[in-house]
Amino acid sequence: MPRRSRLGGAALVAVAAILLVLPNVADNYVIYVMSRLFVYVLVALGLNLLTGYTGQVSLGHAAFFAIGAYTAAVLAERWHWPSVLCLVGAALVSAAVGYLLGLPCLRLSGLYLAMATLGFTLIVQEMLLQLSVITHGSEGMKVQPASFLGLTFHTDYRKYYLLFVVTVAMLLFARNLVKGRAGRAFLAIRDNERAAAAMGVNIARYKTIAFAISALYTGLAGALSAFIVGFLDPQEFSLFLSIQFITIIILGGLASLLGSVLGACFLIVLPELLAGLDVWQALVYGLIMVVTIIFMPFGLSGALQRYAHRWFGIGVEPMIPRRLGH
Amino acid sequence: MVNFAQGEFVMVSGFISYTLLIRFGIPYWLVLVLTIVVSGFMGVLLERVVVRPIMNAPIFSIVIATIGASIVLRSSAGILYGYDVLPLPTIFSKDPIRLGIVSFTAMDAGVIGFSLVIMAALYLFFKLTKTGTAMRATAQSQTAARLMGVSVPRIFSLTWAISAGIGGVAGVLIAPIIYLDPNLGFIGVKAFAGAILGGFGSIPGAIVGGMLLGILENLSGYFFNAGIKQVSTYILLILVLVVRPSGLFGAAPVRKV
Repeated sequence: MPRRSRLGGAALVAVAAILLVLPNVADNYVIYVMSRLFVYVLVALGLNLLTGYTGQVSLGHAAFFAIGAYTAAVLAERWHWPSVLCLVGAALVSAAVGYLLGLPCLRLSGLYLAMATLGFTLIVQEMLLQLSVITHGSEGMKVQPASFLGLTFHTDYRKYYLLFVVTVAMLLFARNLVKGRAGRAFLAIRDNERAAAAMGVNIARYKTIAFAISALYTGLAGALSAFIVGFLDPQEFSLFLSIQFITIIILGGLASLLGSVLGACFLIVLPELLAGLDVWQALVYGLIMVVTIIFMPFGLSGALQRYAHRWFGIGVEPMIPRRLGH
Repeated sequence: MVNFAQGEFVMVSGFISYTLLIRFGIPYWLVLVLTIVVSGFMGVLLERVVVRPIMNAPIFSIVIATIGASIVLRSSAGILYGYDVLPLPTIFSKDPIRLGIVSFTAMDAGVIGFSLVIMAALYLFFKLTKTGTAMRATAQSQTAARLMGVSVPRIFSLTWAISAGIGGVAGVLIAPIIYLDPNLGFIGVKAFAGAILGGFGSIPGAIVGGMLLGILENLSGYFFNAGIKQVSTYILLILVLVVRPSGLFGAAPVRKV
């Protein structure tokens, strides 16, 4: 255990140092891609809290992302709120909607839950188009750059650091959450609801809390994304986006914060690398997805854990469920 | 078992039948049979190559693997045939037939008739044959089915073959109506909504759910604009699930203790 934490700590410091210096050496495009990566990391953290830790699948996160993005944009455009309040407001509105969606979803599980949340994504996307008085419908919305205390985040360089600080803070918050009482309750609910209830976990309360926190992360990510991209197009917040989000956490690793980060890297960086393949891009991308899942059914972080244990004796071998053999 | 590539079977079958009909000029009925066979084999292939190796992984992993497979199929079709819509001929006439106040085409009647035959055949297969019973048993409990002498892997392959074969029929039938393009497979999402609405694992449920969605969508298209028409099915779906969490005909889910 000490060996693992020392190595992990060293790796963490190294990564943080690289990320802090990066904008000073990389070109603008790389910085922009990295900022988008941070946005996706935030979403993946939120979704993993709900799906990975609490076991509640959601295909509704594109909707929370949209709610966050549009709330921030509308607050800034109509009422000229300061950017900080726009971000906080977006996160809170999204969390409130998440809580409300969580209530009917208490009765659902598995595929039924997936389908209800999928419907939620499509309904919210349609609402963005229909409520054109507020959202400007299919024309989309322009968003002015964020500014704090006279400092405007209008360059890729500055946006990067804004995203970096928020992401690190939310990563620490997620870490504390999953290591604490709530995190244990989430895992207990995922593994066995009845046993969890018998141990005194308030299932309904923790499930709705998981929904709300998950939506909070995603709404915040949506608002930040609105500020860094500067334009909202309702077509972006489609079911495909929801599927991308869930792909991130499954490829990265369920119930793993490291997995959320790795999965986001996979999904954002890979298409950039494949950009030269033209028409073959989607084909190769899909193939890599399938192959990754076949060889790493527990995601990148699961594979990392396994090989770290096998080859270097670090950590513990991840638990593999009983094989249903013949 | 979940397969998010089911819609892609429909799409690929559409393209296969297009190729056989137009490029090779093979007669329609033979094309239908060939397409079903090819589609069935595709289902088995997908099961063997993609799904079986990760049988024990979390169900979400299987979902993502089939989504990956559907991306591969869709972009392959796009590379081979391009993204323009292709018209697929049909043997049924498209001239309207009037019957009292109802007007429909021979194509509509043919598609409906064909669907009814397949539904009845499926229902009887699951109810009466030994293999059908084995499939239902496997769905309930793999362990118990295996103890009763059911070869679970074989049942899985067979299920995928049947399901992909039916997707193949759907492809040949529906492509002339909604036209053929690589994104045809997205119809699978709506089909899934129908199955969930009716109750997963219930064939009458799937039929009623699918029909309800179809009727509602067209009715709301009459009263509201096209956008609301698209999402009306999902509004209904959420409302139904809130009241009946396992769909209209689904049994209450058995919870693990």
